[in-house]
Amino acid sequence: MNATKIVRRNSLVHWRAWRSSFFLSVLSPVMFLSAMGLGLGSLVEEEQAFGGVDYLAFFATGMLAASCMQAGAFSGTYPVMNKIVWQKNYDAVLASPLNVRDIFLGEVSWSAVMLTQLATPFFMIMAFAGIFDSPLAILAIPVAVLVGTSCAAVIMAYTATLHTDEAYTWLFRFVVTPLFLLSGTFFPIDQLPAWGRVVAHLTPLFHGVELVRQLTIYDLDPSAIWHLGYLVALLGVGVVVGIRNFERRLLP
Amino acid sequence: MATSASSEPEALIQAEGLNKLFGELVAVDAVDFEVRKGEAFGFLGPNGAGKTSTMRMIGCTSPPSGGTLRVIGMDPVSQASEIKARIGVVPQMDNLDIELTVRENLEMYARYFDIPRDVANPRIDELIDFVQLQEKVDSKVEPLSGGMKRRLTIARALINDPDLLLLDEPTTGLDPQARHLVWDRLYRLKQRGVTLVITTHYMDEAEQLCDRLVVMDKAKIVTEGSPPDLIARYSTREVLELRLSDDAREKLATSADDLADRVEWLPDRVLLYTETGDATLAAIHESGIQTYSALVRRATLEDVFLTITGRSLIE
Ligand SMILES: Nc1ncnc2c1ncn2[C@@H]1O[C@H](COP(=O)(O)OP(=O)(O)OP(=O)(O)O)[C@@H](O)[C@H]1O
Ligand SMILES: [Mg+2]
Repeated sequence: MNATKIVRRNSLVHWRAWRSSFFLSVLSPVMFLSAMGLGLGSLVEEEQAFGGVDYLAFFATGMLAASCMQAGAFSGTYPVMNKIVWQKNYDAVLASPLNVRDIFLGEVSWSAVMLTQLATPFFMIMAFAGIFDSPLAILAIPVAVLVGTSCAAVIMAYTATLHTDEAYTWLFRFVVTPLFLLSGTFFPIDQLPAWGRVVAHLTPLFHGVELVRQLTIYDLDPSAIWHLGYLVALLGVGVVVGIRNFERRLLP
Repeated sequence: MATSASSEPEALIQAEGLNKLFGELVAVDAVDFEVRKGEAFGFLGPNGAGKTSTMRMIGCTSPPSGGTLRVIGMDPVSQASEIKARIGVVPQMDNLDIELTVRENLEMYARYFDIPRDVANPRIDELIDFVQLQEKVDSKVEPLSGGMKRRLTIARALINDPDLLLLDEPTTGLDPQARHLVWDRLYRLKQRGVTLVITTHYMDEAEQLCDRLVVMDKAKIVTEGSPPDLIARYSTREVLELRLSDDAREKLATSADDLADRVEWLPDRVLLYTETGDATLAAIHESGIQTYSALVRRATLEDVFLTITGRSLIE
């Protein structure tokens, strides 16, 4: 598969900067979890509000999906723009037998690999902390990776239409960050007004967070199919539109 | 042995009525050309003439808008991967992977071409020697000089031992020494039988490297031939370049047509096309016209371009 060649190139470059990669994938979630979970958790006593679990468990499981979304979204911005606009790496790749599809699928696969490297230590830390004990919980890793990968695909598709990075400030300020807040990561969405709940149902992170929690701290229920379906569909749309946008951009 | 009866070498690239449109803009307008195996073929033209657009269509990274194009006997849209496996591309702007070292750039590219490691490794050593980057193998790309980056890009384009090498302005922006080094390497490739397609807006580069060339201007091919042919066809053997005061220009204007075959009035200079520049200069001095400076030189492709289009190659 030609896409794996793109994955290999990216992982070589990624692990060369292993210190920052290690920090991102292991240390930062630990710090975040301890500070937010333990600090805030000690203030939040009302367990009923979080479905009968303590706040650390509620927050940590939400954060698994949320940090994958954020990392996935980011991986579709500057790193991809760099290869389209500034360094033109893709032009070099396209002069070889690889095609646009190989590039797009390679980048999406790379996002999945990178997010697995991020989600796994995060998951293990939660397991050590005794947040869950169901064997099904392990499936939270692929779900969190799917959330991030589908966001990566959609944002890569968007990046292929941009000529400068100005739009990213807006994207993160008005799309990614609000998604964080509206998707039930920090508090259950039934705390939101009705319009907020509608918006939440449209966001990928809400479905990801719900699915992760069903697999870890709540019971699995039939809505899981709908959550999973949403995420798979988003990935599908991202890939189809992304390949088309890449083709228009890279093969003018 | 080849069974071909004619002595004409096979055509590696054939274009007929080839067009490229970007929206309303016509970047390449119905061009016809043919590049034969083993030759060094040039596209000479000023900025915006459509050279890169043409090269990208040949390199299968830009679909033609009309006309026909065959590269190594194949269709660049439906058989892009097969074509790309057999050509090398040196783009106008270096697009090396700045996160990787010199050697890794070549290794990664070998992987894109599915070249097995035991074939790739000796070839990479050879290419590094060929482009004289032995001291830089483990260096990152960023700190390399412009000339070194260009040579690395050429080495990368040769990783698949291509039949056809496309070079888009291979020496633009390099200092004279770096240019000569690149020319020398390209000349060696030509000797080895690699077919070269070169775009340039330097007439000296075209004269040095190309067996045959087309002159492009405003999306069209305006003429075609070997450098000496074109010079013979469009120019006299010698050119007399004069710098004159305004008075002297006026005086010269009245008699110039008798003194030379053709005269070009440029803002800073006057060019007189003549078989013997010295005789013409003597005649001008005899007629009492003062010159600030006078230079007799051999005619070049620049003069060919000026004759055809009325403009200089490099504005
Ligand atoms: N992707 C594109 N989209 C729109 N217009 C383009 C695109 N690429 C090239 N053009 C236009 O097509 C015309 C021909 O450009 P091209 O790059 O082929 O010229 P060139 O001969 O290579 O010039 P130069 O010497 O500056 O490299 C120019 O007017 C250019 O602006
Ligand atoms: Mg160009």
